[in-house]
Amino acid sequence: MRPELDSWAMDDHEQVEVELDAIDSEDIRRGATRSSLPPAELRRLFEEQAIPFMDQLYAAAMRMTRNPADAGDLVQETYAKAYSAFAQFQQGTNLKAWLYRILTNTFINGYRKNQRNPYQNTIDDLEDWQLGSAESLTQGRSTRSAEAEAIDHLPDSDVKEALQSIPEDFRLAVYLADVEGFAYQEIADIMKTPVGTVMSRLHRGRRLLRGLLADYARERGFSAASTASPRSTT
Amino acid sequence: MTDCGCDKAKAELEEYLHRELSDEDFRDVTEHLENCEDCTGEHLVGLTMTLKMQKACQEKAPDELRSAILNSL
Repeated sequence: MRPELDSWAMDDHEQVEVELDAIDSEDIRRGATRSSLPPAELRRLFEEQAIPFMDQLYAAAMRMTRNPADAGDLVQETYAKAYSAFAQFQQGTNLKAWLYRILTNTFINGYRKNQRNPYQNTIDDLEDWQLGSAESLTQGRSTRSAEAEAIDHLPDSDVKEALQSIPEDFRLAVYLADVEGFAYQEIADIMKTPVGTVMSRLHRGRRLLRGLLADYARERGFSAASTASPRSTT
Repeated sequence: MTDCGCDKAKAELEEYLHRELSDEDFRDVTEHLENCEDCTGEHLVGLTMTLKMQKACQEKAPDELRSAILNSL
């Protein structure tokens, strides 16, 4: 596991630049950079290693920004920053996590500022009851296997809409854990929060999501009581 | 063999799903799930959510974006 960098805990307007500096100094400590490689070779390596993540980064950017135009801009900016810092990237360390750190920071420092989001600073402080509860979902006639089946019948559009409806910090944590499969410590590094906060955001985010998915399932007539004969054919 | 019980299993299901438990805790929860229909159902809901999200969030970067990025290198 790579050492935690103090600067990653900073709350700075120029977070990405600070971070790139931090990556730089980390690599210098490790005693090896590839800055001496000729530009053509660096470019070849970047195309071979970083470019294949484009679909994944675009998918993440879509869930972050919620629209294709901003997602495209965000991915483009991410690649520009990654390319300019790539000489300092330490081969053999986690390139995917490195790219996601740049993507997430660019989003948080740039795009998020432009979006109205009054809950941003307080969402972690809300009590569970203020976020709603999924506790009642499995009461009564519903069984959990019927709930799972109902969720399984939902179209992709409902799942994306539900994910996009939950508060952003929760959404990022859930996306990074469930879709990308990052470890909690990696998510903590990417989001610059303690692991405990990651776990809390994940737990709350998934709970909200579960409630929303249950609502969508009910609206589509796949409530647990009627999963045997859903209204829709898929 | 002692069953870890529903309370411990339910509390750890999310970390179980995300493979964040120690080997020992992972074994305990796995063992409990084998014998508990209620917790297995709860785990199935969590697992289904994860799999649905993975499937729903697949995207392909637009060709114009790909060429714009490649051209900018």
